[in-house]
Amino acid sequence: MNMQNPLARVRGKGSSGGGVHHWRSQRYSALILLVLTVWVLWLGVSLAGADYATAISTMSSPVHAGLAILFAGAVFYHTWLGLQVVIEDYVHIAALEFALLMLVRFACLLAFLISAIAALKLVLGA
Amino acid sequence: MSTSKRPMSPYMLGPYYKFQITSVLSILNRLTGVFMAVVTAPLLLCWLIALASGEQEFMALSAWLAGGLGKLVILASVFSFSFHLCGGIRHLIWDAGWMLEISQVRFSGWIAVVASIVLTVVVMGAGL
Repeated sequence: MNMQNPLARVRGKGSSGGGVHHWRSQRYSALILLVLTVWVLWLGVSLAGADYATAISTMSSPVHAGLAILFAGAVFYHTWLGLQVVIEDYVHIAALEFALLMLVRFACLLAFLISAIAALKLVLGA
Repeated sequence: MSTSKRPMSPYMLGPYYKFQITSVLSILNRLTGVFMAVVTAPLLLCWLIALASGEQEFMALSAWLAGGLGKLVILASVFSFSFHLCGGIRHLIWDAGWMLEISQVRFSGWIAVVASIVLTVVVMGAGL
């Protein structure tokens, strides 16, 4: 049921209807991270203080490389969505808000790309 | 501007509201999230880049992590992770429509505080 006055809709007032997508994406990425928590804690504990050869041999396994890329994707997507909400809530200078939102988006995408390339390099032994 | 003369609700963290577990945990969930975004995630990325770059780079990062500042960053990161994890599980439980009575919300809040401290101690004790 649409409770909105048709004129308000034509004038572009009211909610854009995009909030649910953001909310749902945040929850889905959280669920992926919740599952991967077991893996990342195991990895952190087993590689804490490890030498180079041990770390290389662990990360050159396709299973760990795949999990690392999935983890990086979920982490930086969740980070982007989370920082977006924080910026929208606390930064009220329009130009600064826009610049920060673009910066976060770009940085998270770049961080994911670098993670994926590094993980691929380790598994492919390039 | 005329809109600035509208009455505003008092700021949540000022002297007008008493601190409560609900509001304190809410802001801590944000703070730990922002901390991980600014410190922990870039650190994990640096670790992966160092490992992919070569032994020299990897050992340099390992040496820094073993130092005083490195240990502090790891401790803060593990606690932020544990706290944000417990806070996130609370949110997912609420999203399912459960535990929404105020007494249950306070109870799950204290559970989250205790669980995040226990998880931090366990992970740090396990060698990280």
